[in-house]
Amino acid sequence: MIGEIIINAFLVTLMLTIAIFIINTRKVISTILLTGTYSLVAALMFVSLDAVDVAFTEASVGAGISTILFLAALSYLPKEEKKEKFNVKHIYAICTCTIVAGLLIWASYDLPLVGQLENPVHQNLAQDFIEGSRNHIGIPNVVTSILASYRGYDTFGETVVIYTAGIAVLVLLYDGVSKTSKNNKGKNK
Amino acid sequence: MIDQIFGVWNYWIVFILMMIGLYIVISKKSLLKKIVGLAIFQTSVFLLYITFGKIAGGTAPILTDNVNEIYSNPLPHVLILTAIVVGVATTALGLALTIRINKAYGTINEDEISASDLVEYHKKYLEDKK
Repeated sequence: MIGEIIINAFLVTLMLTIAIFIINTRKVISTILLTGTYSLVAALMFVSLDAVDVAFTEASVGAGISTILFLAALSYLPKEEKKEKFNVKHIYAICTCTIVAGLLIWASYDLPLVGQLENPVHQNLAQDFIEGSRNHIGIPNVVTSILASYRGYDTFGETVVIYTAGIAVLVLLYDGVSKTSKNNKGKNK
Repeated sequence: MIDQIFGVWNYWIVFILMMIGLYIVISKKSLLKKIVGLAIFQTSVFLLYITFGKIAGGTAPILTDNVNEIYSNPLPHVLILTAIVVGVATTALGLALTIRINKAYGTINEDEISASDLVEYHKKYLEDKK
């Protein structure tokens, strides 16, 4: 129990460190690789939070395909960012983000503590889904039975979104990049 | 005491991560960096949802023979599975747009893009005046 909490806290702090390093990196390749690492640590975090399906999707899609897409795009883009001076706009941005973060952290005291069985989110649908998956659908993995059956329309909508994005990418890149036509972006999953 | 602190620790870090993503989107001039900022924001929201679904002492929602087993809430997992895949679609579209912008303007720096737009505008204005 206490070990679980410490692992959680360590992983989430690691994510914070990586995100802070991403802010000031100017080499684009390191930004991309740090983003991949960030996704991978997020996947570890999902495993420790019992979301194994989300973890392998994040590891393959978030850390794998996203990174590949970024690297593919990088071959057409400048490899280094221009140096920026610290100006008044940055101060406005920092103030906005600090204020919003403060408000959210203040509001977090009204959220239920992590991992309590009596939290409102666990009171309604989850038990029905677990029982239904056991008795009516017969698939041991509850996430699969919700994804494909109870919320099948969601998954259908997701497929439509990916199809649209794939078409849009093809249309955008059609005469923009003529030397290769191997853009199978958006055709994942 | 330690439960009290770590009960909200995840939420705090998630909120700070969100704001780091927002800061990158607001303040960085490179369009590619903005897409990376969006990805950071997105992943932190995923983490928030998965944190809501966790039950201490529970196990992953895969059914076992033990009737009294406690399972973590599977519903947020399903929502986030959909969101991850849609997030990659968004990233791909953003990168395609960035490549097109780079093709048209020769740069992906926001300031240079608006400067070159301004120059075009004034050139057109002067030609119209003649």
